[in-house]
This record gives sequence, structure tokens and C-alpha cells, in this order.
Amino acid sequence: MGHDLATKAELVKLARALGTTAEEIAFAAELPHSAIRRLRENAVATLYDEHKAAFQRVAMITRVLPTAVNVRITLRAFTPLLAARVAGELPPDRAAELANRMPVEFLAEACVHLDPRRAGALVHRVRPDRVVAVVVELVERGDFITLGRLLDTATEQIVRDVTATVATEALLQIGFYAESDEQLTRAVALLPPERLHATVRDALTGPPELRSAGLALVGRVNDEALRGRLAEYAAEEDDETLTKLLHTAIDDGALEELLLAVSVMSEQAQRRVLTLPALTEPHILGHLVRAVEKHDLFSRLAPVVALMDPDLRRRVAVAAERGPNLR
Amino acid sequence: MRGDVREVLTHWLGADVRVVEGLSDEALEELRDVLVAARERQATAIRAASAEALRQMPPVLRGTVSKILGR
Repeated sequence: MGHDLATKAELVKLARALGTTAEEIAFAAELPHSAIRRLRENAVATLYDEHKAAFQRVAMITRVLPTAVNVRITLRAFTPLLAARVAGELPPDRAAELANRMPVEFLAEACVHLDPRRAGALVHRVRPDRVVAVVVELVERGDFITLGRLLDTATEQIVRDVTATVATEALLQIGFYAESDEQLTRAVALLPPERLHATVRDALTGPPELRSAGLALVGRVNDEALRGRLAEYAAEEDDETLTKLLHTAIDDGALEELLLAVSVMSEQAQRRVLTLPALTEPHILGHLVRAVEKHDLFSRLAPVVALMDPDLRRRVAVAAERGPNLR
Repeated sequence: MRGDVREVLTHWLGADVRVVEGLSDEALEELRDVLVAARERQATAIRAASAEALRQMPPVLRGTVSKILGR
């Protein structure tokens, strides 16, 4: 059986944090995604604290040297890994002063190794144009895991600049690995309407991983009005596209996300999705009914049921009678 | 959870060791092994990066910097 999208994202992040493969940490899939996250956060903290004393000593030396000399030494002698670890032990102002003089490629590589507990204070002090340049570099490298982590540190202006610069596909991938639902919601809310619309369209018409990222996004956004806008844009797509989305949701164990989206659509959009030919298939209805039961979505979806024509309502009832533990 | 596994996992996870208690004994041993391997990988990477940093330093500074890095 597949894992839900949050668990998938957490497993990828855990493997990255431990420098290993998804296969090596497959055993963790038995845990809830919140537990995998706690495991990762603790493991990362232990790893970063392990060599802290040595990096603190290096940081002490760099404090007494002029910035230009530090930059020269860093670029000549330090790998991005060492530079990031020392930066984590410097006062954020000092670390930002150095970062503002480093090449973007070096900073992008260093970001991968930056202590997540220290990243926010540092990133807030780096020049916004430099931060955006680093984000663009990380997008080009396809490092969406690091970008998802860094999203938490992004100011409103940086989010605006990045969303105006980066492709919608990349925004979806970054969102998939975002750490905080609140920050993800704030970032999505800052997208101009046409950009938000394009993001939804690209999620639905792109490859399966983008549909998965789109489903994860609509599930994680914690503002119902914003979720409603996303869902409304989705409902504009044709039958084929929406049917693919439905199948992806079933494959990904993401029917809760899909049904939440339907529950916040306008009545007109709900009527439109109820005309999907796929809803005549008993096994599809079975999946949907079981998801409603599992996630206790009866009251949220009651208005949608009221919009069903008698034939569809009868089919739903049959699917409910067939499934295990259905009311 | 076996005592030796709990000891290692408690070092890594502190009080949050309880979040992994739902795993089987076999999975807990796998977890211990990947954590220990991660630590070794990190130590190797830092050693290699430090060695490279020292190589780039003027010879007169190498001894002092080496002490600072605890090598």
C-alpha cells in the first residue's frame, strides 16, 4: 500500500538529512509523518551539535579578521560544507556580511549544509537580491528539498520576488517539501491571481509528480478561502484532466485533499465536477466513499451530496453498502 | 526496545525517543544503524573538508589552525 503524500515528503527529507537513500530508511514509513519529522529534527540537531565546538573556535578567529580577508580565506580554503558550519556559529550579522560577498554558486551549495535552526536569522540579513539569486540557482539544481526548508526563512518580499522569477513547476515542488503549513499558506496567498491560476493549471496538466504536489498543496493550505480559489481554478479543467487528478489522488492516498477541495468550491464548480464520467465507475465511487468515511468528511460534503442527481446518489449508496465499515 | 538500542536512540532523540517506539525491534535496529552511519559519514566529510582547508593554508599557519579544528 502506498503512503500518503505527507509521509512521502517526510521520508525523502529524512533520507536527505541522514545522507542516505529512501530504501535505507524505508522502515520509518510505518511511523506517522509527524513522528518522522520529529525523528529528523532530532537527528539533524544531534548531527549539527556533534562538531559544534570546533566550528565555534573557527568562528572566533573569523570574528577578529576583516571581512575581505575572511572572504578570501573561505573561498580559497573552505568547502561550502565547512563555510556553512562556521556560518552557523557566527553572529548572524557577521555571517550575512560574508554571504553578501560570496559567489552565488558557493552560497547555494552552502545552503544545503546550513544548520536549519540558524538559517532564518542569517537569511533575513542577507541582501534580498542575493537570496533570490541563490533560490534561482537551487531551482536550476533541482534541490527542492533545501528550498522547501528555506521557505520558512523567506520574508514576504523574497516570496514575491521568487514567485515572480521561478517557474510554477518549481513552486509546486518547493511547496511539496515546505516545512510549515502556515508559511506555505502565506506564500501561496502572495501569488498574484494569474500566477496562482497558472500554478493550478500546470499542476493538473503536468506529470504525475506535479499533480501529487498540487494535491499536497491544496491539502496543506490552511486558509479555506485560498483553498477554495485553488479548487475553483481546478474545476475549470476538462474531464480528462480532472479524471487524471482523481486517479492520482487515489494512487497517492490523497482523496482527503481532493474532497476538501471539492467541499470549498462554489456550487457551480461542485455541479461541474459531479458531471465527471469517472463518477459512474463503482470502484472510483468506492474509493471516494471510503475516504469520506475514513476522514469523517460527511458534514463537509453533505451540500455536495445534495447537488447529486438521483442516479449518482443511488450509485454512491450502492458503493457505500459494498464497502467495509461504511454507514 | 532492547537496552543498547534504546541507549543509542536516546542519545540521538532525547525524550522524543518515544516517537519511534511504535517500530518493530528490527526497524529500531535499522534506525540505530542509519543514525550511526550518518554520524560516520558526516565525520568523514568534515575531516576531508578540514584536510583540504589545511592544505590551502600557508604552512606557517597549519599547526595553529589544526589545533583550532581539534585535529
